[in-house]
Amino acid sequence: MSSRQQQKEKARAEREARERADAQAQQRRKRVQQLGAVLAVAVVVVVVLVLVSQGGKDKPNASNGGAVAGASDARAMLAGIAQKGTSLGDPNAPVVMTEFADLQCPFCKQYTLDVLPTVVQNYVRTKRLRLEIRIRNFLGPDSDVAARAANAAATRNRLWNFIDVFYRNQGTEDSGYVKPAFLRRIATAAGVSPQLVVDGSTSAAYEKPVKVAEAEATAAGLTSTPSFLIGPKGGKAKPLSFSALTVDAFTQAIDPQLKALAQ
Amino acid sequence: MKQRRLRIASLVIAGLGIAIATYLTYVHYAGLQPICAGGSHGCERVQSSSYATVGGVPVAVLGLIGYVSIAGALLAPGDGARLAAAALTVVGFGFSAYLTYLELFVINAICQWCVSSAVLLTVLVVLSVWRLLLVDEPPLEVAAEAS
Repeated sequence: MSSRQQQKEKARAEREARERADAQAQQRRKRVQQLGAVLAVAVVVVVVLVLVSQGGKDKPNASNGGAVAGASDARAMLAGIAQKGTSLGDPNAPVVMTEFADLQCPFCKQYTLDVLPTVVQNYVRTKRLRLEIRIRNFLGPDSDVAARAANAAATRNRLWNFIDVFYRNQGTEDSGYVKPAFLRRIATAAGVSPQLVVDGSTSAAYEKPVKVAEAEATAAGLTSTPSFLIGPKGGKAKPLSFSALTVDAFTQAIDPQLKALAQ
Repeated sequence: MKQRRLRIASLVIAGLGIAIATYLTYVHYAGLQPICAGGSHGCERVQSSSYATVGGVPVAVLGLIGYVSIAGALLAPGDGARLAAAALTVVGFGFSAYLTYLELFVINAICQWCVSSAVLLTVLVVLSVWRLLLVDEPPLEVAAEAS
């Protein structure tokens, strides 16, 4: 091979190497631009997700300086139904359903506002079911204060009103909103002495029922809220399975239990 | 070659993510609580928190949709799929970082399953960005000719 041809091939190889290097550099620039676009899109999508996740948490109610919400709704739902301590309904009802709840739990609120009115109307008012409730405190310090306050309201047979009004005014979890001023307003709307509830919220005497509730939940293997036990009056209760926090799901869960326990 | 290895590693991690998200979705709809090491209330508190859903959709379901989409983008050929995989993992990583912040500073409880998912998404975002920035190597015959 002549020297001239070798030089030509060498030049060609060098040109091709330069072209490849240029193409790679161009590709690298394009990829960096693509990464920039990906990051920009990702920031927008994440911000939207965060806003949706935060949405609906700050509606005005007693927890954030607004008016106390839902006092009349609670009164209407519970009007004329016997309350004694933690019980709601006829003491002689053949079946008892016990709820385990945390007053800060949003799903307990969902059950209470969306499902409980129908349960009360269809099962409690017809004396087929008596409801019991156990207040837990596992979601944090505000849960603990709220649980003691609720147990104080129970001593005046106004627990169910207190719970209902509390849920309708539920604030941001553990933001410290369960203060004496908040409890006073909830207690007043629930028809129970504000001073009793405020004093009860810091009293060790009302801590005992919370410990009992935790022990009962643990013994029954219940690890979430709201959870339910259902069983015959004075008999052994077992966990109630439900597929969703809807009226239909609870009707489907409760009806067979009532039927089986009535036999 | 490096592309292929990164893709396989990403697929394995996305598979683990799908397994975790499937488990959390199952326990959510079965009304169970996830097994939480040490018997702490961490998982229970996180799952019972108002942040456990986004617009009414459980976070576990969002995670499952996300991981399946990432796996789909990893399996599909072409530059568009590579870009989609990077975009999905960056979004997943960003949202996972937000959820971890909530666990640490708002809910004050740690769910081990969520932490595991956050770790997987961190590894996935590194791999997918690396894969996106990786410039294609010239074909072997061209490289041989050039040498």
